[in-house]
Amino acid sequence: MTATTNLLAFLGLVVALLFVWRQSWPSRLRLFAAQSAVLALLATAVGVLAARPGLVVLGAGFALVKVWIIPRVLRRIAAGAPVRPGAPGRSSGMALLVAGALVVAAYVVMLPVHAATRLPTQGAIPLAFAMALIGLYVCVTGRDALGHILGFLVFENGVFGLAILATYGLPGIVEAGVFLDVLVIVFIMEVVVVQVRREHASIAEDRLRELRG
Amino acid sequence: MARLGYALAAVLGLAAVGGGAAGMLGREWTLAVPWLVPLGGLELALDPLGGFFLALVGAAAVPASIYAIGAAGGAARGVGAYLVFVAAMCAVPLAANVMTFALAWELMSLASYFLVLHERERPESVQAAWAYAVMTHVGLACLLGGMLLLSAWTGSVRFADWRAGAPLLAAGARDLAFALLALGFAGKAGVIPLHIWLPLAHPAAPSHVSALMSGVMIKLGVYGLMRAGVDWLGGGPAWWGTALLLAGVVSAVVGVLYALVEHDLKRLLAFHSIENVGIILMGLGAGMLYRQAGLGGLALLGLVAALYHTANHAAFKGLLFLAAGAVVHATGTRDVERLGGLIKRMPWTAACFLVGAAAISALPPLNGFVSEWLTFVALLQNTQIAAPPLNLVFALGIAGLALTSGLAMACFVKAFGITFLALPRSDAAAGAREAGPAMRAGMALLVAACVALGLGPTVVLPRLAAVAAPLAGAGAPARPALGDWLTVQLSGDFASLSPLAIAAALTLGLAAPLVALRLAGASRRRRLYETWGCGRMLQTARMEYTATAFANPFKRVFDFFYRPAKRLDIEFHPESRLFVERIEYANPTRSIFEDWLYRPVLAGLHAAARSVRPIQSGSANLYLAYILVALIVLLVFA
Repeated sequence: MTATTNLLAFLGLVVALLFVWRQSWPSRLRLFAAQSAVLALLATAVGVLAARPGLVVLGAGFALVKVWIIPRVLRRIAAGAPVRPGAPGRSSGMALLVAGALVVAAYVVMLPVHAATRLPTQGAIPLAFAMALIGLYVCVTGRDALGHILGFLVFENGVFGLAILATYGLPGIVEAGVFLDVLVIVFIMEVVVVQVRREHASIAEDRLRELRG
Repeated sequence: MARLGYALAAVLGLAAVGGGAAGMLGREWTLAVPWLVPLGGLELALDPLGGFFLALVGAAAVPASIYAIGAAGGAARGVGAYLVFVAAMCAVPLAANVMTFALAWELMSLASYFLVLHERERPESVQAAWAYAVMTHVGLACLLGGMLLLSAWTGSVRFADWRAGAPLLAAGARDLAFALLALGFAGKAGVIPLHIWLPLAHPAAPSHVSALMSGVMIKLGVYGLMRAGVDWLGGGPAWWGTALLLAGVVSAVVGVLYALVEHDLKRLLAFHSIENVGIILMGLGAGMLYRQAGLGGLALLGLVAALYHTANHAAFKGLLFLAAGAVVHATGTRDVERLGGLIKRMPWTAACFLVGAAAISALPPLNGFVSEWLTFVALLQNTQIAAPPLNLVFALGIAGLALTSGLAMACFVKAFGITFLALPRSDAAAGAREAGPAMRAGMALLVAACVALGLGPTVVLPRLAAVAAPLAGAGAPARPALGDWLTVQLSGDFASLSPLAIAAALTLGLAAPLVALRLAGASRRRRLYETWGCGRMLQTARMEYTATAFANPFKRVFDFFYRPAKRLDIEFHPESRLFVERIEYANPTRSIFEDWLYRPVLAGLHAAARSVRPIQSGSANLYLAYILVALIVLLVFA
């Protein structure tokens, strides 16, 4: 069980790093779907190995929402946006370096948790946390509204992985609430982005400064 | 439907009067629902002091609600907030732990905020509600600070445990807790300089709400001061009482000075509320000083004076606000310069206002006289404390109270004379109609209360003494000798008063000339003449004495305080400067509290806000980075 969860969490982290590396939104969207699929598998694997059928159902629901519904909505949001926002030819090296530092930070921060738990999944906890931090980092450095939304979703994926690994799954009602929140956030963002684009003919970050009071 | 709501509020008021009276008579009652809210749950308890204020809220809510049935007509706006307001005010004196108190207090503030915002189309109402919301929440912050500190130090959120635990705390801790609680409660009571919301908010609300806000809501601030000063913390050093006494003197004098130059009828009444809270605080401060000096009997007298004036002010200020509301309802203006002659058009309202004005001016045999007399008697016995600095404070109190009484009378001569006498100064005043039966019934109830409280101190005083006795400290007599059914006798032979005898003498004095004339065979024929007009052919309202003219001598005498700014605007005829087309004269006063206290504070706040403005760069990336950095820092240092 440990090997499986470690492997899946590691794959999730690799996808998160690829996410930092790639800059065009179609490939980022594909990577987000891939990461969501990996996490759905992780939930299913923990559910099967720990004999908790609730987690298997949760994995299926997660896959439905994050591999299918949300990417479809995001594609609708992104229609017409430039594929590669910001300056062309800009290297991702610095961003990858920061992401690497965040992985180290995640390990440091999770040391006490690691020491305190005796779960078979404990080795994968820092990996999931690193995913969350990298998601937040992508959110911070996003150059347009789409970048922010995708970063936030990766962050949420990391939090989901962390919850699965650290607790063997939260109560169903909590998970359902979180999913609904994320879905609603995506829909709200869709409205906001469409509105911003109508007002400013762009969703680029630097144009949003004009909104300052 | 709206009428049903107000009727429900009146029933609630009646129930509160019943419950409060039971509490005053010593009936104990508690209700605890621990699971309802966190931090100690909901807990209500009835004791004599809480019972007094509960009865007061109820007794004020009944006439105000009856009046509202007539004044509001069928309009539904504000009924819900009014009901919540009355219910929350009933809950405040019953609250027995921090959570219950905070909930009731905040509900009361929020409901009254929405009531102040009643005419939200008017910018003045919005501004008043805003000032009220800010001041009331600054006060709430102070209150919560004090209460949470006391909870942490005594290890309990229940007020009953504070009584046992607080006297054992260090002196500095008790001082800090008292200062925070006193600031919070004084803000609600409208004590100067925390008063600035009061003259804005009270006039903006509908009149039945103004009556309740002025009559009882600000009294709950007095309730809090009493609870904090002499009950929860069990008395303290002399500076507590000194601070309250001095705050009372300043509030009384400054409040009445502002009222004198105010020409908005409801704002004038609001300033008088500040003045009367000052008088109440004089009694309370004196009581606390006597208690600290170990003079239980005098402490009891001070507290009883404060409680009596609290009840009296609720009665006459409620009455005056309702009568002013009837005037505003009939004429559509609050500016006394546009009123006049209403005594012929609204005789009932005029009579009610006159009773209220006589009561607030402390004229015997009405209620204001009795409580101001009690306060004087309490202050005058300060020579029993052998501490010259304290004697000086008391002397200031006596002088301040005397000055206040005189100025209040002058102010109500103006308010009544300009509003109700002479000729109407505008078409609105000329076309005024008498208030409806429900409004008159509400006012009549309060007239009855003013007369009863004025004539019946021999009945009321023993009840109030029973309420105050547990708070007056060691040496307070449980059943003080207060004279017999006819005469109030205080501190042995120090002072005595017989309101019934005064009333009988006044009635006789007024009736005697009439009887004498009748006996002398004077003619009964009515003779009607024009008013003597100095030989002028025509008398118009423009020749009447105005409120501005009435207030002008006071403006000159208290020039240093009002700092009037004279504005003279003359428009000449274009052909010749010898002919004047229009003269406009204004003589507005400037508030020293706004200029010297609030403006610098607000300027400081604005400067601080500007200095942190660079943080708001407008970049969403930066805002998100704040979150990331805060998260990591918290996780690393947690």
